[in-house]
Parts: sequence; C-alpha cells; structure tokens
Amino acid sequence: MSDIIVVNDLVEVYSDGTKAVDKISFNVKEGEFFGFLGPNGAGKSTTIKILTTLLRKTSGSATVAGYDVDKEPRAIRKLIGVQSQETAVDGDLTGRENLTLQGHFQQLPNRELKQRVNELLKLVELEDAADKRARNYSGGMKKRLDLATALVHKPKLLFLDEPTTGLDPQTRATIWAYLEKLNKTEGTTIFLTTQYMEEADRLCRQLSIIDFGKIVASGSPAELKRQVGADSIKLSLENCDKDKPKAKKILSSLKGVTNIIDSEECLTVYAKNAGLLVADIVRAFDTSDIRLASVSFSQPTLDDIFLQHTGRRIRPEELVKTPSIMLGARRR
Amino acid sequence: MTLLSDTSYLFVRYLKKLVRNPILLFFSLFQPIIFLLLFTQLFSKLALAGNLGASSYLIFATPGILLQNAFGSALQSGTSIVLDIDTGFLQKMLVTPVSRYAILLGRLTSDAFRVVVQSIIILALAYALGASVVTGIAGILLMLITIAFFGLAWSGISLAIGLKTRSSETVFAIGGFLTFPLLFMSTALTPQSFMPDWIKTVSTFNPISYTVDAVRVLMLNGFTWSTILSAYAVIGLIAAVTLGATLYLFRKVVS
Repeated sequence: MSDIIVVNDLVEVYSDGTKAVDKISFNVKEGEFFGFLGPNGAGKSTTIKILTTLLRKTSGSATVAGYDVDKEPRAIRKLIGVQSQETAVDGDLTGRENLTLQGHFQQLPNRELKQRVNELLKLVELEDAADKRARNYSGGMKKRLDLATALVHKPKLLFLDEPTTGLDPQTRATIWAYLEKLNKTEGTTIFLTTQYMEEADRLCRQLSIIDFGKIVASGSPAELKRQVGADSIKLSLENCDKDKPKAKKILSSLKGVTNIIDSEECLTVYAKNAGLLVADIVRAFDTSDIRLASVSFSQPTLDDIFLQHTGRRIRPEELVKTPSIMLGARRR
Repeated sequence: MTLLSDTSYLFVRYLKKLVRNPILLFFSLFQPIIFLLLFTQLFSKLALAGNLGASSYLIFATPGILLQNAFGSALQSGTSIVLDIDTGFLQKMLVTPVSRYAILLGRLTSDAFRVVVQSIIILALAYALGASVVTGIAGILLMLITIAFFGLAWSGISLAIGLKTRSSETVFAIGGFLTFPLLFMSTALTPQSFMPDWIKTVSTFNPISYTVDAVRVLMLNGFTWSTILSAYAVIGLIAAVTLGATLYLFRKVVS
C-alpha cells in the first residue's frame, strides 16, 4: 500500500513565536488506522490543521494523497473528511439539512446526495430525529451527526480530532464501532488524534506519540508495548516524600526490575514478571519499615508508553475513571 | 460555476436560520415599527411648521425609518460570522471545497434580501397609515434596491468588526453606538431647516443623509436623478471601504 500522508521535517511556528510543531516526519499508509497521541498543546491539532489545509506550514513538506498542502489545497479538500474537536453542526438546521448542506459543499449531485443522506442518517442512528433541529439533539447525537457530515462524500481519508472527548462511554463505544466498520469495509484511511489511551489501543494499528511538538515514539500498539517490555507495578507509599529514596534503593536491588520512575502514585516499577515481584516488594518494604498504601500492577498499556517517553501521564483525570485493577487481577 | 451555487446554498442557510429565530426578526422590526407608529405621532405637528416638503410628518419620516431599519439589520450581520467562527462551523466549511467568496456572498445576499423584505413590511404599514409613494411601483423598486445597497455597505462594517474582534458583544456595542448618533444627525427624521447649525453641518457630511434624500425624493417628488445618483456615489464609496476591509480580514481568516 502506498502512503496517503507524507510529512517531512514539518515545522509550524505561530506569530507569537510558539513552536507548535517542531520538525516532525511521519507517513501514513493508505487504509491505515493511524493514531496521533499526545497531551493538550502537544501539536496534534496544529498538525491536523496543516494537513487539512486550514493552516499554512512554516517549513518542511506535507502531502496528502500526493497533493502538496500549500499548492493544491482544493484537491485535498475533495478527498478528506474532517471532524474537529468542536462539534460544529448548525443548530438551526435539521440533521438532514446539515448533511445535505455538507453534500452541497462537496458538489454531490442532488439525487445521489439524497440517497447518501438517508444512508448516513441510518448509519449514525438519527433517522427518527432527522427532521428535528440539531439544536435539540443531545451531545452524543450532535457528535454522531457531526461525524456523519464528515462522511457525506465518502472521503478517502478521514481526520478525527478527538472525536470522543466528552462523550459518555456508551456513545464512545458506538462511535468506535462505526469507525472500525468504516476502516474495514470502506477502506477509509483514518487519522485520529486522541488523549484516550484506551481509544488508541482499541482502534489504531499504527501510532505516533507527540509531545512538545516532537514525535517521541512510533509503531504499532503492540510494538510500542514491547518496547516498554515489562509489566508495570504502581506503588503508593503512606509517606512518599520521606520513604521514596529508600524505596528506590530497595527496588533497584530486586531481581527482575527493569526501570523505576517517579509517578503520581509515588513510584512505578517496570518488571518482567510483576506477579512474582509484588510479593518480594511487599516483603522487602515490610522489613525496611516502609508502609505501602496501595499496590497495583498491569500489563503495559499505552499510558505506560506515554509515561516512559514523556515522563507524564497523558491525562491524569481520565485514569481516575479507569483505574488499573488492584492487586491480584490482571488487566485485559 | 461553484461560486454561484455555493452562494445560493449559503443564502438559503442564512435565511433558514433567520426565519427559525423569529425573535431576532421581531426585535429588529420592533424599533422601526415603534418609530413609525409613535414617533410620527409625537412629531406630527412638525408638518404644521412648514418646510417639511411633505404633507405629513409620517410621509417625511418613512424614508428615514426605512434606512434606520436597514442600518440596524446590517449591523447584526457581523454577529453571525462571529457565531460561525466560535462554533467551528466556518472551519468546517473551509475544509470542504466550498468557494471561499461564497461564504461572504451568501451572507451579504441574505442580508440584502432580509432588508428588502423588512422594508416592504414597513412600506406597507406606512401605506396603511397614509403614506404613499408618488413614483409608483418603479419608484418603490428603486427605493428597495437603494436600501438594499445601503444595507450591504453597512453590513461590511459589522462583518469587518466581527472578523477583527471575534466578539458578538463588540459588534452589538459598536453597532448600537453608531446607530442613533448617525441617524439623529442626518436628515432621516428632521429636515435641515429644523436643526441647530452644528447638527446641520454634521448632517451635510453624514453619509446616511444622502441615501435618505434619495429615498425621500422617490417617495415624495419623483425621479430626481441628481439626488439618487449622489446617494449611489456615497453608498459606493462606503461599500468600497467597508467591504474592502471585510474582504481583507476574511482572507486573513481563511488562509
């Protein structure tokens, strides 16, 4: 398969001097489900804006389907569908009218458009609400309508900028299912940015992690997890500040520990076989009089990858909602 | 030509938005209608003092009220573009192949259409109250066209402010700030002979006066082309500045 997106040494410097994107290079293959991960302000949206012809790059090169983003923006606009972070539907228009208007923008012939609009309303399960004004839709319905408007011309390449941010888990799952179907059955290439590790893990076959405008890691989710190469054990201590240096010393002496880093809980330990090590840690801490508040361990997740590469959690508040399973159980 | 078809789709979009928010329409018509019903009553004895050049104050003031309405509606134009920027709808349009200029043209043509419809309502009401147009249907058509162009020229101001500040409140504030001083210091509601000297001077240079005078001669006297054409010259000048600024700022937004 050929590359549908080719980005080389892309730089974007805003007028206030902020370097939003700092010499990044990556390719996306046709038919790929590509994930672009990073925290807020990392440069994800800026990159999308350049690729979707909304923003002029400062330097470097970027092509979409072989077209240069600066020289042939119109050709690109016909091929891509874009769902941005904000749900941009016109609340004064009905769902059907919103879709039809987008179809007109894409110059679809009327007869074909009518049929396509019906198809899409069915796909995103908005048939019953099709002729109601979008203003009265729920958040999830608006998001689904917004996604449908990006699909009206059957784009070869779909850009989704945090498509499920702020959605309830059920709606999120529904949208994931559409996207997987779209990617599989229609062969649509999908470029997705997200802050949700879970989302990237579930959907994407290829990932790049961006932080402070630079790509810090690339590969398939499995490859990236393999790079981390270990389970993680999250330790929280009753007296983290005081006991941390001592705890680190003890941990580094234990067999099987590959890496120890500071984390929010207190410490995160990477090890080949966490299950066995936990008992050793508990015993060692006990004899040294370090009191453990909690221990949890999990197989490496993309969040661990992110943590390893950037030293930060991608989005702490999300982890509160989906904590790793406590001692004894394994995640996934 | 995609410019034309895209403009027509956006024209329809804006009109649908307008019709579906009748409260906005109501409020923008409310003021001119109050002027037509109450203001003209309040000042009805002005006609007795002479020098109006009209048989009643109602007939004299109708052209002024028509332009007040056009002015007020035009100044709302900028808020819609701010809304499209804020909601991300503009960005959503810009990632499609839609013609960039159609986004502006759709807006401006729907503004013009709206002003014409509102003007017809006001004229009909004025007619019911006893004010008729001496130049007949042809004159009414020319009046409406003149008012529409006048509206477009002023839409440019609010669009430019909207594009520059990205704030609906600012558009409203500046709009409100401009409307009454410009209106009262023009020949819209009082003849120059009634004004103190300084307002007379201001009104001579007030661009609104020129359009008011043109609409007024069509209503009261006939096709006095010198007055009509000088109004078009002033409107053209304003439009060149305001729409030029709008175009310049719009280009900065879309590229």
